[in-house]
Amino acid sequence: MAYTPQYYPGSTSVGINRRKHMSGNLEKLRDISEADIVATMGHRAPGADYASTHPPLKEMGEPDCPIRQIVAPTPGAAAGDRVRYSQFSDSYYFGPSVPYWRSYYGSINCKGCDPGTLSGRQIIEARERDIEAYTKKIMDSEMFDPALAQMKGCTVHGHSLRLQENGTMFDMLARTEMGKDGNVYQVKDQVGIPLDKKLNLGKPMSEAEAKKRTTIFRVDGVSMHGKVGARKYDEAVEALHHMWELRSKWGYRPE
Amino acid sequence: MVTKSDTESIQVEIVPNRYLMPATAQSLLNEIYENGGIIRIMIHGPNLPRSVPYGPGKGAPIEENRNLLIEVGGQAFELSVNVGRIRLELESEKYFDGLKAACERALPFSFQIRRGKFFHTHPTLTDYAKFGKVEDTRILGLIDPKAKKDRLAILSEEKVTINDKEER
Repeated sequence: MAYTPQYYPGSTSVGINRRKHMSGNLEKLRDISEADIVATMGHRAPGADYASTHPPLKEMGEPDCPIRQIVAPTPGAAAGDRVRYSQFSDSYYFGPSVPYWRSYYGSINCKGCDPGTLSGRQIIEARERDIEAYTKKIMDSEMFDPALAQMKGCTVHGHSLRLQENGTMFDMLARTEMGKDGNVYQVKDQVGIPLDKKLNLGKPMSEAEAKKRTTIFRVDGVSMHGKVGARKYDEAVEALHHMWELRSKWGYRPE
Repeated sequence: MVTKSDTESIQVEIVPNRYLMPATAQSLLNEIYENGGIIRIMIHGPNLPRSVPYGPGKGAPIEENRNLLIEVGGQAFELSVNVGRIRLELESEKYFDGLKAACERALPFSFQIRRGKFFHTHPTLTDYAKFGKVEDTRILGLIDPKAKKDRLAILSEEKVTINDKEER
């Protein structure tokens, strides 16, 4: 029987969404062009050549190493690209993904990347053409919402603040704007430098839709305990208690 | 038993459930102003810098945050924060219900309003460092102690003084 990884316990909608994020089996909600993603990231001009830090691996003459023979390099590593990043920040008001789940997604599904989790933001570093491909996957999928998640390379606060009047997350640098047609437009790159043209990110999710797709447990949404008033807690809490017990008593080394 | 005077001032905090756009902030402040009885008022919220403060884009202008002029009680001033909280002191309790009604009229979404003590009465060390000996104690509690420079807009009957030239 083929092994199916079990990523996260629980039968709540949040538990199910967390499993979806970790497995990479995500629903595609929009199609943002590669040029728009590259412009938003701001590391190179769309259509420009990739800068490199070393010659392509084929020309370098690698040492005889069994691991290098087993592991195929990513396209970015094979070409010798620079390491670049994309960083996302999600609103606490039912943002699509919490920083840890972005990191789990990166660790499990994005080869050759280095995810970093902070309290309100999450950064993924990888070779340039790899990170562009990963970022496109993220922004096209349900891990992104134009109103409740934003690519923010710096000045990320907003995730823990109330939403603005138009339902978008507060951004001090005003990198996105709500258009009159209801679409959210990216007007600056992730560090706040104005773009040549506005990039359409699509319509934001409705509140009900955001609550359905979120990976955030909230007392006014889906509680981590599962159904309120149930006699038995959801499996997520039981698993958490189990992990806590193992860590506290034996430091993860039951002997 | 001490009977409280009905003319004693009260302090009130209004917290809308969303950050206000300048137009909504203007209409809310005007409604509050028309209700009357204000001794002092402070608006609070996250900073809106005029240029990118740090990072690779440092110094790039943020046009969206410039010229956020609002007019309150016939006087115009520039917003430097996204309004998210309003604290004010009223002359007496009789203005409270009117204030609540004013918020209900101006805000298209829910809000919290509560009474309490929100302005300090004695100068802190920071106040002393910034102003020296404070003559007019109404100024206490109106200024962000973490701001590098004084950030204060005084609206009076005679003139408007805006002391906010900070470019971060």
